[in-house]
Amino acid sequence: MASATTTDVADRNPAFVLRAIRDVSFEDRPVPKLRDDYEVRVHVAQTGICGSDVHYWQRGRIGDFILTSPIILGHESSGTVVEAGSKVTNLKVGDRVAIEPGVPCRRCDYCRAGTYNLCNDTIFAATPPWDGTLAKYYTVASDYCYKIPDHMDMEEAAMVEPVSVAVQICKVADLRSNQTVVVFGAGPIGVLSQAVARASGARKVIAVDISKARLDFARSYAADETFLPPALAQGADPVVHSEKVAAMIKDQFGLGEGADVVLECTGAEPCIQAGVFVARKGGTYVQAGMGKENVTFPITTACIRALTIKGSIRYSVGCYPTAVDLVASGKVDVKRLITNRFKFEEAEKAFELVKAAQEGVFKVIIEGVQG
Amino acid sequence: MTSPTSQMTNPSAVLYAAGDLRFEDRPAPSLQDPYDVLVKINFVGVCGSDVHFWTHGHINNKRPPPTGLIMGHEASGTILATGSCVTRVAPGDAVAIEPGVPCRRCKSCKDGVYNLCPKMRFCASPPDAHGALTGVYVTAEDFVYKMPEAVGLQEAVLVEPLSVGVHAVRLAGVGPGECVVVMGCGTIGLMCAAVARRFGAGRVVLVDVVEGKLGFARGWIECETFRPEAGRGPEENAERLLEQLGIEGPLGLVGVDTVIEASGAASSIQTAINVLRPGGKYVQTGLGKDKIEFPIVTMSEKELLMRGCFRYSSGDYELAVSFIAKRLIDVKALITSVSPFEETAKAWDLTKNGQGIKNLIRVARLDTRSVL
Repeated sequence: MASATTTDVADRNPAFVLRAIRDVSFEDRPVPKLRDDYEVRVHVAQTGICGSDVHYWQRGRIGDFILTSPIILGHESSGTVVEAGSKVTNLKVGDRVAIEPGVPCRRCDYCRAGTYNLCNDTIFAATPPWDGTLAKYYTVASDYCYKIPDHMDMEEAAMVEPVSVAVQICKVADLRSNQTVVVFGAGPIGVLSQAVARASGARKVIAVDISKARLDFARSYAADETFLPPALAQGADPVVHSEKVAAMIKDQFGLGEGADVVLECTGAEPCIQAGVFVARKGGTYVQAGMGKENVTFPITTACIRALTIKGSIRYSVGCYPTAVDLVASGKVDVKRLITNRFKFEEAEKAFELVKAAQEGVFKVIIEGVQG
Repeated sequence: MTSPTSQMTNPSAVLYAAGDLRFEDRPAPSLQDPYDVLVKINFVGVCGSDVHFWTHGHINNKRPPPTGLIMGHEASGTILATGSCVTRVAPGDAVAIEPGVPCRRCKSCKDGVYNLCPKMRFCASPPDAHGALTGVYVTAEDFVYKMPEAVGLQEAVLVEPLSVGVHAVRLAGVGPGECVVVMGCGTIGLMCAAVARRFGAGRVVLVDVVEGKLGFARGWIECETFRPEAGRGPEENAERLLEQLGIEGPLGLVGVDTVIEASGAASSIQTAINVLRPGGKYVQTGLGKDKIEFPIVTMSEKELLMRGCFRYSSGDYELAVSFIAKRLIDVKALITSVSPFEETAKAWDLTKNGQGIKNLIRVARLDTRSVL
């Protein structure tokens, strides 16, 4: 794959396609062409699977994004540049890169105001109607591809995407040194948020989860403390229970009036409630996890305690370079999160494994098409 | 020898060197991109920077190339044609033009501060970013702003300097009830003061050495004015200003909340630092000498928040258009003269000689709007 402008006539683009709900298959697609002179074509090396991929596969929609025609899946990828448009200056053929899967329009008010993650016209890999990265090749604007240092491997580079999500969460939280941080959820986003919080100088990072195994891992990873909430007693009021859980956390870890920052990385209603109750007066609560679209929310508490409540979605300027740096410098060890590896041809098995959500399965990655 | 511009298809005002302006028939640009718009230029305003190029032949040693540079950056126009992806404007629309298009790909662009883009192409910037003193101009859709029916094409020129004022006041974080001092009562100072009022400033004070400018300001918006005395130093002038305002002098550790410095003059900058209260805010929008003597210890001890301010970025033009459209700021009153295109040099000389506030140049022979 040394050529900068021509492709081998026999070269194809095998792809893993979601044709309809719960209907995936491999397809033989043509090699994609660069859309303009600023794009590069990447030979994809590794792709991680995310809950959103599984959700589109099983339900065919997330919010307003609805599957209406087949799309190639996958958006957490790394690879090697095999073709570069004539106006590309930051990359050359042969460069190994982490791919940022969402390229915004650059012209709308959101883009111009510095919030490109909110652009309505973003081309986002594997969000309908856009094709994703689970194919041999993927084309993308070169300023959304980040060269990785030689000592970083392609698996680590694929993990840069969820690390970037965690970086954005902490950026939205305006995390400062010496703060106390409670993170609900010890899945990949939860533990990575704990790791980024730690790398940002948090005084204490507390992980909360209902899985003891995940909490044990979180403690070995980046959390200073962990907490397993007691189960809701039969007939008990759920909101009262959440308030009790919050009180237990504050008491057990000496948080005083509450945590400076709460990162909600589960989307689960009891965690959202407990999160509001565990924040100190004037504290910050960031919603990153996605679960039920509408929940019972302790809004009077949020008001009286003057909380700052923000949503966090995807990543914005600077997140990817920061994430690459966190991984490259060893501050965030992403290798430890990868529990299962599959060849490209086994992609459907990989998805089934993520869907089964067994204990012991954490981050599943799929190797790219070889050759 | 210049041919009469009436014979030209695309007459353009091209500067070659100080004092050397030529009218040339430049090739009309075409749509390059599906997001481009083609604009017929109606009016162009004169700015201090135009005068600087005209007088000195350069700004910061950046000169027009041997092939000349089309001048002008404060412009209004009428849409002639639009690219296939354009949705916000249509042929016939009157627009205010934002004269700088950034690269959209660098960190500054993505961070919402596109005015700091290192690859910014700004009207009349050497070597080859041509300006708006031309018949037909091409730019991107998101850098033209449709003007409401009731606003004339001459007023639309004022959107540009008003946007500078909007940008300065937003950077200054002016909030309701504040006491805001604006140093310099030229066009930009006036715009900053008017915008500060609209942002809810409780008191707005304009400062200038020329009494006539202050007189105009008092008739234009609700404000107070102050004229520093030449013989007195910055600390003394600051003290006198605070006395006039009924706010204790510097030794009493009280002062004004915000100063927007719109003159660039060293003495004015020094006075400003002395007139601010501890914790006060300062925005430098005026451009004068690059290196000046600066009361840095006073700034430190007062923990002043100082910000540089350059042109405009996301949201500034929209707000400026809104202020004009809603008649919240009367920019028409600043228009002092309108010169025909062939008399561009005369318009520049008017501004150079301190005559008028905003002098305009009529570029297109016929307006598509009857309302001026």
